[in-house]
Amino acid sequence: MNRLIQLVRTADWTGWLGAAIVLVMLGAAIAAPLIAPYDPVAINIEHRLTAPDATYWLGTDQAGRDVLSRVIYGARASLAVGIGAVIIGALIGVSAGLFAAYKGGLGDQITMRIVDAIASIPLLVWAIAIVGVLGVGPVAIGSLQLPNEVKIVTLIGCLFSPVFARVTYAVAQRIVSADYVKARYLQGASHWQIVTGDVLPNCLSPIIVQATLLVAIGIVIEASISFVGLGVQPPQPSWGTMLSDARNAIYSGEWWLPVFPGLAISVTVIGFNLLGDAVRDLFDPRHEARTLVA
Amino acid sequence: MSAPLLEVEDLHVGFRGADGIVEAVRGVDFSVAPGEIVGVVGESGSGKSLSMLAVMRLLGTTARITGGRVRFAGEDLLAAGEARMRDIRGRDIAMVFQDPQSALNPALTIGRQMTDVVRAHRRVSAGGARRIAAEALERVGISDAARRLDAYPHQFSGGMRQRALIAMAIACRPRLLIADEPTTALDVTVQAQIVNLIAELRRDLDLAVVFISHNLQLVAEIVDRVMVMYGGRVVEDGPVADIETAARHPYTRLLKACVPSLQGPLGPLTTIEGAPPRLGRMPAGCPFAPRCPQAVDRCEREMPALVADAGRRVACWRPQ
Amino acid sequence: MFRLLAGRFFSSLGTLFFVGLVLFALTRAGPGSPARIVLGADATSAQITQFEQANGLDRPFLEQYVTWLADVLRGDFGKSFVTGRDVAGEIVDALPVTLSIVLFAFAIALVFGVGIGIWAALRLGGPMASVTRLGVVLGLSIPAFWLGIVLIRFIAVDLRWLPPGGYAPLSSGLMTHLQTIAMPAISLAVYYIAVLARMTQASLQEALRGDYVRTARAMGLSSPRIVVYALLNALPPVINLAALSFGYMFGWALIIEQVFNIPGLSRALLNAISQRDFLLLQGIVFLFTAIFVLANLGADLVNRVLDPRQRAAA
Repeated sequence: MNRLIQLVRTADWTGWLGAAIVLVMLGAAIAAPLIAPYDPVAINIEHRLTAPDATYWLGTDQAGRDVLSRVIYGARASLAVGIGAVIIGALIGVSAGLFAAYKGGLGDQITMRIVDAIASIPLLVWAIAIVGVLGVGPVAIGSLQLPNEVKIVTLIGCLFSPVFARVTYAVAQRIVSADYVKARYLQGASHWQIVTGDVLPNCLSPIIVQATLLVAIGIVIEASISFVGLGVQPPQPSWGTMLSDARNAIYSGEWWLPVFPGLAISVTVIGFNLLGDAVRDLFDPRHEARTLVA
Repeated sequence: MSAPLLEVEDLHVGFRGADGIVEAVRGVDFSVAPGEIVGVVGESGSGKSLSMLAVMRLLGTTARITGGRVRFAGEDLLAAGEARMRDIRGRDIAMVFQDPQSALNPALTIGRQMTDVVRAHRRVSAGGARRIAAEALERVGISDAARRLDAYPHQFSGGMRQRALIAMAIACRPRLLIADEPTTALDVTVQAQIVNLIAELRRDLDLAVVFISHNLQLVAEIVDRVMVMYGGRVVEDGPVADIETAARHPYTRLLKACVPSLQGPLGPLTTIEGAPPRLGRMPAGCPFAPRCPQAVDRCEREMPALVADAGRRVACWRPQ
Repeated sequence: MFRLLAGRFFSSLGTLFFVGLVLFALTRAGPGSPARIVLGADATSAQITQFEQANGLDRPFLEQYVTWLADVLRGDFGKSFVTGRDVAGEIVDALPVTLSIVLFAFAIALVFGVGIGIWAALRLGGPMASVTRLGVVLGLSIPAFWLGIVLIRFIAVDLRWLPPGGYAPLSSGLMTHLQTIAMPAISLAVYYIAVLARMTQASLQEALRGDYVRTARAMGLSSPRIVVYALLNALPPVINLAALSFGYMFGWALIIEQVFNIPGLSRALLNAISQRDFLLLQGIVFLFTAIFVLANLGADLVNRVLDPRQRAAA
């Protein structure tokens, strides 16, 4: 809590800008039906390829669909995949890290080797190959039909999990062997109490930092996979598929088709990056040697 | 007495803070004669290291010299350009620092670092520089010097690293060596070796030395003169024997009492009550007044001047 | 040192086998037999059975994997279901295209990333520090494929400075070759310029604060020499990150190739996917994974070789 107050006080303006962008984008995604001026999938051939004007603020595409509405709805897929993947990755990774640190011995070895193996997988290539093989159709669980994005979220989540596993593992190992924790065990504290009372609170700040930065990477990956046609399926709007449509119409001069969805991705990613950097500066001012790359 | 080698007059050093400049060195005067070895003693924050970094013009970006004069062998160092200072550093005045662990570059061999210094100041071939470096290593007591030149710092012990640093400092035969707490990070036995080494080098090379330390006892064994600093000012200065037997400033006397004597009975450890003044919160009068057992009203209000008398100087309203 | 190297090598090899198994399982788990797609919708079930027998698809899963692995170890990636050509041959055709883009992008990223990073570290605190920081965040946030589309739109379509897509091999002349790979490589490089610039700046700034830098100044060394001293300590983490980046760049090159319509590994992979050409798919993904694992291994080794402390300890 003190940390939170400190965050509010000391974060510089770039952090605030990032937080504002993230909030606006989240708001747009959640309230899309309320704020989008038109139906994002309604085809209107009469008004196809209208340049941005007072009626269509960001113009219309080849099928006469309103670009602004599609960009607003597109935020749903991007943020859902980005944030969802990070949540899945964090759940898997934190569990694996805790398990390895607690189990020790062979269990530790095997778990962390698997984590290493997953970390040596080129994320994007595998995501494309796996979704390609499994097909882009919906996933049926019983009578429940889940869209193709569920596969993407799960895949990206799995491939993000090593980041969280390693952070948790390092913290947990340090804490489990600390004298004061040994003392608490002697006083009769249970594993569960130690994990929730000591280990997790100490993992929290690095996890939040990594999570924020990974959402940005997840969003770009989702857009890239959708761009090659293996992500969000038409007619559902997404920034990646909009750019794919724009790529096909690149010669005809409608600049608004590639510019706005791309800006939407970039601005959202800038938001998460700025927020992530600010949070990192706050929690971990000496982070010189650690950089997340994808 | 011959003309002084280093003369510092009314030196002021300040940090740029949120509300203007905060002075950390507040009018320091002293001089060092050729071949003389001077101990500069004080607690951390007394301004002793900062004064010497100012002499070397190595203050970095946050601190700056705000006033005074520094003359080395007659030359005004505060007026010298950066290129001229580069020539002087390492060739005429050399400085070694506290922590030999981090003061050497971990990525380069000792020999490479030493020859780079030699070749920065003297026109010699690579082989010549290496010979000079090996000689210097030999001189500081590192055996098998020619082979040790190819070692990396991490392969040396702490004491050897400090010796290597000193070797680097004397390789170009400077006339003044400033040693900034060179023994603080070392074991007690190694400390004595380094202190003796510096005394020996001074004798053999006719080197003037400024030995900065917080340990009066340690420097007293080898120095000619002791200068005590407190709160950014020189509070007392005089021949080591006089300071040892008859210190006049209450701070010096307390400082001496703090060091447990190895001879004589083991009494309780003495400490000085209170804490040194904080930067930017310097008292108006004598900086030591708030902690001084002898302080009177005047001490709190007026800053005592450093008064010279029979080869000694003291800044106190009620000297002993 | 050797033991450590061997250990790292074998653990990478283990990773590859594990990953190969997962990949193999996934390709077999997908819906639709490759036979149906290769032979067409009106193939008889006898034809399909025959195709599956000929390609070993009817055998138990683990047996298929072991056979494939044994072949791969001999350098035989099998034959494409679709074209009947050796998978290795298909890959050899497409790899130089991708490799040429990635190498060019890597060179750009290295030169500009490290260059900007050093420049920014030496100009610490000035107004340019904020500009660099802003530029880095922009570089990290602009998706490469969008940058590619924007470049095509404005540089190729509007200004007509460069061709909007396609690929000309080096054999058709250096200038023609560079013209086709310039925009793809730049699109791909921007993110990594930002990543490397940020790392270089942080690492060099940290090094310049080091005590040994103060020693060097106190000994009268020149400023360029002091920067070199600091760089020797600052660069290993940068090189490490660069090696990792090289592995990642291959992945993003897939998307970039799609944007610029370049017939590299990306097209081969997407074709293999749509045609259920499992062996070709496995071969390509395996290759990417191997490159990535090797890049990781290289990053690790670079660190050990550059740091005298680790060199001695190993």
